[in-house]
Amino acid sequence: MCLAKNNKQFPGLIYLFSQTATGQNTERASIFFSRSCLLLFQPVLGTGHKYYLQFTTEDYKTRENVGTCLAIVFYLKRKPTPTVNIKCTYTKDQKEVQEDDHRFYQKIRQHTKPIIGSYIPDSYGNIEPAFESAWALAVVGSSYIMWEKSTENLGYFMAQVKHVKQWISKDDSIDFDYAVLLHEIPTQEMILCHMRVIWIPNHPLKVKYFCSSENQSAESEDVSGMESGSADGILNERAANF
Amino acid sequence: MYQIKESNRELVTQHYLGTTYEKWPMYYLKISQPTNKAKKIIWMDCGIHAIEWISPAFCHWFVKEILQNYRTDPKISSLLQNLDLYILPVFNIDGYIYSWTTARLWRKSRSSHMNGTCFGTDLNRNFNSSWGGVGTSHNCSSSTFCGPEAESEPETKAVARLIESRKSDILCFLTIHSFGQLLLSPYGYTKEPASNHQELVDVAQKAATVLKGKHGTNFTVGPASSVLYQNSGSSRDWAHMIGIPFSYTLELRDRGAHAFFLPADQIQPTCEETTMAVITIIEYVNQKYFPNGAKLTSGNLCLNLLLSVLFVGALS
Repeated sequence: MCLAKNNKQFPGLIYLFSQTATGQNTERASIFFSRSCLLLFQPVLGTGHKYYLQFTTEDYKTRENVGTCLAIVFYLKRKPTPTVNIKCTYTKDQKEVQEDDHRFYQKIRQHTKPIIGSYIPDSYGNIEPAFESAWALAVVGSSYIMWEKSTENLGYFMAQVKHVKQWISKDDSIDFDYAVLLHEIPTQEMILCHMRVIWIPNHPLKVKYFCSSENQSAESEDVSGMESGSADGILNERAANF
Repeated sequence: MYQIKESNRELVTQHYLGTTYEKWPMYYLKISQPTNKAKKIIWMDCGIHAIEWISPAFCHWFVKEILQNYRTDPKISSLLQNLDLYILPVFNIDGYIYSWTTARLWRKSRSSHMNGTCFGTDLNRNFNSSWGGVGTSHNCSSSTFCGPEAESEPETKAVARLIESRKSDILCFLTIHSFGQLLLSPYGYTKEPASNHQELVDVAQKAATVLKGKHGTNFTVGPASSVLYQNSGSSRDWAHMIGIPFSYTLELRDRGAHAFFLPADQIQPTCEETTMAVITIIEYVNQKYFPNGAKLTSGNLCLNLLLSVLFVGALS
């Protein structure tokens, strides 16, 4: 029996899912947060709030169920980051997961030119096939940001990839710079985050990010030239720091 | 809208509501089967938030469905015997235009504040339902800015004026949003249940079940303050508070995978399933207020009483 379903406070769960300790310490680059069910809400007197959650995840392309998790999320008073106990079961075994990830990796590596693009999806919801993988990777990377930023009362969705630029790495990793727009619930604000995502299959995702302060007027969002200038500066800086 | 009105003159009329901040005229379509009968009203509006593009698309689709099928579909023709449909295809015209021409992510209206340094009010925080309370912002640069006062926006005033003037005839108020796949009943401003809470939830559940039957889409049902988040000044809350018994917010596809950027190939399936849900709600309202397709007249009542007396008499 669910007390609440699909509570928007828990969109960072993709990241949780991929970090579960069942020997699968890999990032699932192709999965999506699906249904969640709040089993129990337990106020702990003087300490905080405990949430008992069940959620499923699905493949972003095929919509098939990928796994189910049970999580106990404990928000302590005066501490924004909760403690989490989580157990997951997967529909695919480790071998299949690795094959999926490898296929995903190859798809990106196959590009002869670095992937560079803007506004994915476009205004009409289209994602060009050439940008699909970059978009999916942005979702997973964004979920890490969401996991860190979300609180008991604040949650996020990735609205759009504003810019993506692939770096050609000397090693086998895939390396992307993103500007992503995160939609914040319930404030409805759009938060601009610059994100660097580096990944090799069978390794956890490396994500570094910087989000602009809130209450950024939407006026400036789509004024080209203004936004790209500041983004470039930060992107170059992050490359140097890496 | 003009073309729809012109090609379906016997059924559709266009009515002026008011003007937007930028002086666009606001019209609603009245779909009404001409009869001598006094009818009740179903209100539906789309596009109160500019960024939610699937919403105006749905109103357009719904109108098309009704007009294409009212002669041949017995369900629709029976509804139109007793009910008039008032449909506002785009509530927030200024914002919607702005989202197409300038800023895809724009949500609010385009009214000017603070000497032109700040733009837009969240029209769904601008109604007089615990206005300015929980879940709103008094900062004009916020996405949930509730405006300088309740009904400050010309768009809100235009709609509120009409609804208020016809409230004794309006049985159902539907407002279409995205995203989330939710069917929300009052209230958002408080966790206190609405007077007809159980009935509202039961009807919504019925509609969600019918919706799921079409393409398998799951909708969650319940009061906004529990299912979504608390917010004040919503049109749905206000409609119920002034006495409209059935008041719902529908949040259409999806659940966040594409969020406001629903791909084009999902437009039609979304509109199809949502049409079925809306028809289910309207059907229930029709059955409730016009049982067995006819009003209970005093003649019928007498006959029923006589029969039941006779029957009881025969049994004892």
